[in-house]
Amino acid sequence: MTDKPVLTLRDLSIEFPTPKGLVKAVKHLDLTIQKGRRVGFIGESGSGKTTTALAIMQMLAEPGRVSSGTIDLAGIDVLALSEEEMRQTRLSRIAYIPQGAMNSLNPVMRIEPQLWDGIIAHEGHVVEAELKRRSDEALASVGLPHHTAQLYPHELSGGMKQRVCIAMGIILNPDLIIADEPTSALDVVTQRQVMQTLKDIQAKIGSGLILIGHDMGLMAQSVDELAVLKDGELVEHGTVQQILEAPEHPYTQDLISSVPLVGGESFLNPERQADAPKRDSTEPLLRFDTVRKDYGDVTALHPLSFTLQGDTPQIISIVGQSGSGKSTMGSIMLGFNEPSQGKVLYEGQDVYNMSAAQSLAFRKNVQAVFQDPYACFNPFYRVNHALKFPFKRFGLAKSEAHTQQAMEEACAAVGLDPDLVLSRYPHQLSGGQRQRLIVARALMLSPKLLIADEPVSMVDASLRASILSNIYDLKDKYGISILYITHDLATAYHVSDFVMVLYKGHVVEAGPPKEVIGDPQHPYTQLLIDSIPWPDLHRSWGHTGGEWDPEAKEAAARRADMVFRGAVPGFDLVAG
Amino acid sequence: MTSQDHVPMTRAEKRQAKRIRRFDNPWMNPKLLWGVGLLLGIIALGLIGRVLWDPELVFTGSAPLKLPPVGFENLRRQEGIWDYPLGTDGGGRDLLALIIIGAPNTLFVGLLASLIGMSIGIFLGFSAGFLGGRTDDTIRVLADVMITIPPLLILVVFQSAFGDVTLTMMALLIAGFVWQSPTRLIRAQVLSMKQSGYVQMAQLSGASTGHIMFREMLPNLVPYLFGSFIASVTTSIVTAVGLEVLGLGPQRIPTLGRTIYEAINAGALIQNLWWWWGIPTLLLAVMFIGLLLINLGLDEVSNPRLRKLS
Repeated sequence: MTDKPVLTLRDLSIEFPTPKGLVKAVKHLDLTIQKGRRVGFIGESGSGKTTTALAIMQMLAEPGRVSSGTIDLAGIDVLALSEEEMRQTRLSRIAYIPQGAMNSLNPVMRIEPQLWDGIIAHEGHVVEAELKRRSDEALASVGLPHHTAQLYPHELSGGMKQRVCIAMGIILNPDLIIADEPTSALDVVTQRQVMQTLKDIQAKIGSGLILIGHDMGLMAQSVDELAVLKDGELVEHGTVQQILEAPEHPYTQDLISSVPLVGGESFLNPERQADAPKRDSTEPLLRFDTVRKDYGDVTALHPLSFTLQGDTPQIISIVGQSGSGKSTMGSIMLGFNEPSQGKVLYEGQDVYNMSAAQSLAFRKNVQAVFQDPYACFNPFYRVNHALKFPFKRFGLAKSEAHTQQAMEEACAAVGLDPDLVLSRYPHQLSGGQRQRLIVARALMLSPKLLIADEPVSMVDASLRASILSNIYDLKDKYGISILYITHDLATAYHVSDFVMVLYKGHVVEAGPPKEVIGDPQHPYTQLLIDSIPWPDLHRSWGHTGGEWDPEAKEAAARRADMVFRGAVPGFDLVAG
Repeated sequence: MTSQDHVPMTRAEKRQAKRIRRFDNPWMNPKLLWGVGLLLGIIALGLIGRVLWDPELVFTGSAPLKLPPVGFENLRRQEGIWDYPLGTDGGGRDLLALIIIGAPNTLFVGLLASLIGMSIGIFLGFSAGFLGGRTDDTIRVLADVMITIPPLLILVVFQSAFGDVTLTMMALLIAGFVWQSPTRLIRAQVLSMKQSGYVQMAQLSGASTGHIMFREMLPNLVPYLFGSFIASVTTSIVTAVGLEVLGLGPQRIPTLGRTIYEAINAGALIQNLWWWWGIPTLLLAVMFIGLLLINLGLDEVSNPRLRKLS
């Protein structure tokens, strides 16, 4: 039993009959997972990662089916099992840790009985003392305090819920754990903690682990072997070392090079600097005057003042985790969210107190790219509506032909074929194409300021770099100043002229990116940088080495004052 | 994708393929088609009937009394005759003429009432959801209070005060009680839509409030509006018929409800004059089944998850 592989997939194919014909989700997959090995499945959405995992569990969604091949789980032919035998196998031999663990727990049950469910379903009646002992043991093994058992899911943080899900998965000591993007909804700091827990527990019970993900860095830090999937095919398989150091398939190379490194080579090529569009006003482009925002008793943004002159195009990055107030800041700048105190001035005009004509001018000159490219297009119209309408509304269109020409030029500038995309409906385009169209829209309107709120966080990894360079081009070729809001320090490092790190509504560290991100001084910035998983084996998850204690760092971060790391001309920051 | 497998399809597979093909055009939904067919049938009965049959026969005394439909006998052993194929009532009116005139009238009241109700609902729902604040509070409280008042109670009082009313007047009165649930439905939709990316994009594009409401949001609400419209037609007809059966509503214009009222009043139940109340009831049932099927069909059209392969 010891040297037998826990999982062997032979020539596995999975298909889904649809109105448009058979869709082959997985094609002729061969893979073996040895005992105690961690294997990463990496690929874009739709590449068949999750489908494969669900097939192993026999949980494929209707009408999907395994059309050929075998699944051998430590000597058992999974496909030959009856419904009842499969039920017995799930959890006791294969455990599945789902993607959104937040939603996988029953909100009206305490944690403890939810852990017991699995044991009772497999072993029948077990005395309560024994159940209690085992659930406490499982919770302890994922590093959760004893009293967690008596809490309800809503009383736990996201990272704790994810750990409860891991505890549930390992409670029966399975042979194989399948973790489907277990950290995709978590912040980098929590992600590192949860992955550490998962690795420790897997090593302890000695099971195999399949980690499904799309982040090359996370994979490099977490698994032994990597399987790269593309369109249902296994394009490359090998140890992490092999794949990271000598990727053979061009798709793997793309995946690796798309992860920007702090201090690494830039994926941008700043050739020339364009001048900012001519401004008729000497007033600064955008000024925050002690702006503060409260939601009830919670202060999302503490008083903050800055001035963006806007005479030379610049990219200012605002970096922080979810809840840091960075998106609040973005919506305040756009005039969507009135601050509780202070003023936002656009060329000397209060954004929240403008006449209709001023407001139209403000709208024309301050544009945005939002996080979710799927929601940005009205499903009722073809995508060109989103480009055409503002162009006409702002009086830029001279004629119908002129509008068409401007749209085609803007599409070409962001690398889209105008004939292919413009007359389509939004659902016919991929997320990457849609986000590029939004960038093209901003380009057509040639605003003075663009607010980019997490523009690439919902786009497939291999496209991120190219979309970011499209945005970067806006500054470089068209002279548009950009406020880049992100949680991703590595991209902020490359694109920006000035970085502000936001933590609980305070700016904790600010300055040129080479200083702030390259050599962080504030404990919170250090914590963020240490938590980034690098796709580099020699850089074992941060470079501090030794003890890694996020709680101590956070406590230190709360006490520490703002660190100001130097100014850049054209941007003045005054934190309150 | 695979070209080599040209195995002839079995019968089950062919049936499956046919079902899958039906997915391509969701409007070819059997429920929707049947529902529309039934309602169109009733409208056609009204239109064609007026040409082919003599509508004068709805007047009292224009026909012999209490004749049964063709093929039946009444208690006086009279047989039905082809001059009055569905029989006549106790006032000497021909039942076929009554339903030819009455059924479209009933449908008209229902459609008009819910058309007015929906318009009020769209207007108030949009105002509440979009403007928010004080306006929202007022409209929401108003709708919530109105929804708890039993409409029949108020309508009975109104109608007895007005005495004889026209069909339009009746529709107007009923409309006052069918705007609340569309208002709430649209308000909820508008609230969630207001946060959506494309509405924000439109705001960024300098769109006016009117543009955002009617050009960006409204088109996406159409499936909800359709479903809500059909539901309120049903409610309106039920309310209208309820009033008519109580003897309220239009006194001189034949409607299905009024015919049932007269039948009950004249003791049609004891005298075994079943056709007098039975035929209008049957027609009402057909109307409601038609509306229900349309509603179910629309639901499947706008919500693909309800469409099943099997």
